[in-house]
Amino acid sequence: MTVGELDPDAAQAAVEHCYEQGWSDGLPLVPATRPVVDRFLATAGRQADEVIGRLPQLDRAVTVELAAINAVMAGCLPEYFPVVLAAWEALMRDRAAAGGGWQSTSGPAPLIVLNGPVRAELGVNAVGGAFGPGFRPNATIARAIGLIVRNAYGIHPHELEQATQGLPGRWSICLGENEEDSPWPPLASDGGVPPGVSAVSATLLRTCEFVDNRHTSSAAQLLTDFADTIGRSGAWIFRHAGAGVVFCPEHAHLLAKAGFDKERVRAWLAEHSGRSTAELARAGKDALDGHGVRLPGEPADHERAHAAGTDPADGPEFQRMLPGAEPQNLMIVVAGARNAGISMVLRLFGAWSAASVPVTGPGSTSIRT
Amino acid sequence: MPNAILDPTGRAGQAAQATGPALQLASRRPSLAGVRVGLLENSKHNAALLLQEIGALLVTEQQAAGTELTSKVNFAAPVAADIVERFRGDCDVVVTGVGDCGSCSASAVADGIAFEQAGLPAVVICSDAFTVTADAMAALRGAAGYEYIVTEHPVAVLTADQVKERAKRLLPEIVAMLTRT
Repeated sequence: MTVGELDPDAAQAAVEHCYEQGWSDGLPLVPATRPVVDRFLATAGRQADEVIGRLPQLDRAVTVELAAINAVMAGCLPEYFPVVLAAWEALMRDRAAAGGGWQSTSGPAPLIVLNGPVRAELGVNAVGGAFGPGFRPNATIARAIGLIVRNAYGIHPHELEQATQGLPGRWSICLGENEEDSPWPPLASDGGVPPGVSAVSATLLRTCEFVDNRHTSSAAQLLTDFADTIGRSGAWIFRHAGAGVVFCPEHAHLLAKAGFDKERVRAWLAEHSGRSTAELARAGKDALDGHGVRLPGEPADHERAHAAGTDPADGPEFQRMLPGAEPQNLMIVVAGARNAGISMVLRLFGAWSAASVPVTGPGSTSIRT
Repeated sequence: MPNAILDPTGRAGQAAQATGPALQLASRRPSLAGVRVGLLENSKHNAALLLQEIGALLVTEQQAAGTELTSKVNFAAPVAADIVERFRGDCDVVVTGVGDCGSCSASAVADGIAFEQAGLPAVVICSDAFTVTADAMAALRGAAGYEYIVTEHPVAVLTADQVKERAKRLLPEIVAMLTRT
């Protein structure tokens, strides 16, 4: 069909129909039809009625077929579909995403990271502007996950979804790792999938926050800047909190040249990211309730400390924010352009599963060989 | 004939099925004297304290026989079947809450409905910030219009004395819901 033969009025009417059904995340949807959905299903080589997720509290389930319909509507191409399925499976390994996370007041966003040959095959952006926008696979694979949650699970804002504010770009965070410009093994190898194999890693994010440091050549200064951002009290609501860093190539290479592999980076940041008990007391987060939730210490403790002339909560001691130095608690990715020292700290909703999912399917050339 | 536009919800044509038989509330006794009160707290801050205060008031003011407090391991998920079963053996009525977050408010209502279906009169306490999601869950469970007790948000920031005061204030409504016929 030539451009002149396309019917934009019919397309407009179909888009409006999708809005009227309540299926949209706010942006126009691509209407899904049987022939298109069948092309998606053919790329995955999975049974259409296979259940790939259940939410028992809402009595809802998602099948491969429903995932395909939502991936079509998100604007995916058929060859993206095995990645959508792998991303969904990776999220189902995340405790919060498999439970009540989608309904949460914190309105968490899926973070989806792609490794291996599938990035080049699909044209996934891993370099400049890795967090988007501008690239179809990055934008639509993440959006497909959001539409599955909305439509197959029936979780709509103001109803079963209770985000207080949500976060910018909630259904758009999908990036390739810049493996070609990374001094370290890819994220998926921390998740149990060997380098060179196409794989998806995913977790839920509260938000992400940049660290801009372009003028130091000291690994210690650079890591101190990251530790300060990771450890700030606002993001800290339980005894510990998980985090991550998407390093730009420049920062990653600076650290690698100073002898830091990923394990050493994690160990350094786990040791240095946090606040003193006194600092936490000033933010009302120095004490823990029986469920490990941070709250203000007893006023009586503070009064006693004042009377004794000591700091409230008399806490010079340093509390570490990260529960440990494992990849689960501090995921490390390399992405972006090598044009400035700008990296991103990730705020995890819980902990990363550290269980990446290989991308498979008869339509994919990136199956494990 | 153009291709049909496919439904992405998996619920096409299922709307009619949702209107099954209305929820039958468990039968109530006219008084709470001598009843055993199950308290199911969902681990949200102040939930256990509020329920314990309510339980204590039911014993001192309504002559309930005693209370049994249990915690939910996962506040987002519906109550485990073994807890419902245990309360069925050990208790005559249940008070549960506090619905004070996105997922736990919905699941608290689901729990109240589950207890009613198991024959236990139940009261759900939910913060007024989450009534929409609580009502949505009731409708999902085929119990649109299910009544629960609404209390002012937030509950998590209350001091122990304020929690006591809140328990006292909610008591008449709780008693009414557990004894209404």
